[in-house]
Amino acid sequence: MSSTTPTTQTDQIPPHLDPQTYPRTTTNPTLNTHITLTYHPLDPTSALTKISSPNAGANVLFLGTTRNSFEDRPVAQLSYTAYPPLALKTLSKIAEDAVTKHELLGVVIGHRLGDVPIGESSIVIAVSAGHRGAAWRAGEEVLELCKEKAEIWKKEVFVDGQGEWRANRDRDAEGKLVQG
Amino acid sequence: MSSKENTTFQIHYFASASTYTGKQTERLPAPLPLPRLFDTLESMYPGIKEKVLSSCGVSLGDEYVDVEADGEGDGEVVVIKPGDEVAVIPPVSSG
Repeated sequence: MSSTTPTTQTDQIPPHLDPQTYPRTTTNPTLNTHITLTYHPLDPTSALTKISSPNAGANVLFLGTTRNSFEDRPVAQLSYTAYPPLALKTLSKIAEDAVTKHELLGVVIGHRLGDVPIGESSIVIAVSAGHRGAAWRAGEEVLELCKEKAEIWKKEVFVDGQGEWRANRDRDAEGKLVQG
Repeated sequence: MSSKENTTFQIHYFASASTYTGKQTERLPAPLPLPRLFDTLESMYPGIKEKVLSSCGVSLGDEYVDVEADGEGDGEVVVIKPGDEVAVIPPVSSG
């Protein structure tokens, strides 16, 4: 075997599952949108700094944190996987569309991957606008679109050791089961 | 490009698709007409079509593709070429 032959290992762990290839970011300087996928803890202060502007009268910050239960079953840990070629593209479009639609001054979307301990943030969304109405509306809309479209998957590992992949389309914003 | 990449494409599996195949990624022989992708996977992983793939999207490169398009309506049949990157995309769950 020559040393240039790709190893089997390379085939088994594609780059998108290798934390060494992160963080991955996409920025649109014109629309002031910032997308990040990272295996490290999310930093809300840094998110707010990116969208701060003297023209902004309203800055909305949302942190989605991992909950310790699912349907009364205790959850030990959550783990996220992403497919960045699609996820970064999808998240960028959500952010850019929101800027245009709500006349925002900036949008940050950050998602953490890998194991996320209970109580820590898995997603950060920050939006800024001239006035609070647009900022509140855009913040919620961006979050819901992320949950609907971003190519990221959550696995809940229960205390009994069983793991289950979730699908957001099964639950609404109040956590209630959506009838198919 | 290695010789492997001249004759195969890479396919990535996520979430339920990864659980069902027991793999995160693998290489399959190329070229392969896109409408034959699900039957190819079904022959390797019996039951996957109904249990998993029926609720999944498929991407080729960084675009979603219609695996059912057989070329009878408009346009030509898409063919997965050697070196291409395909992904099976189950219902998502970010946030």
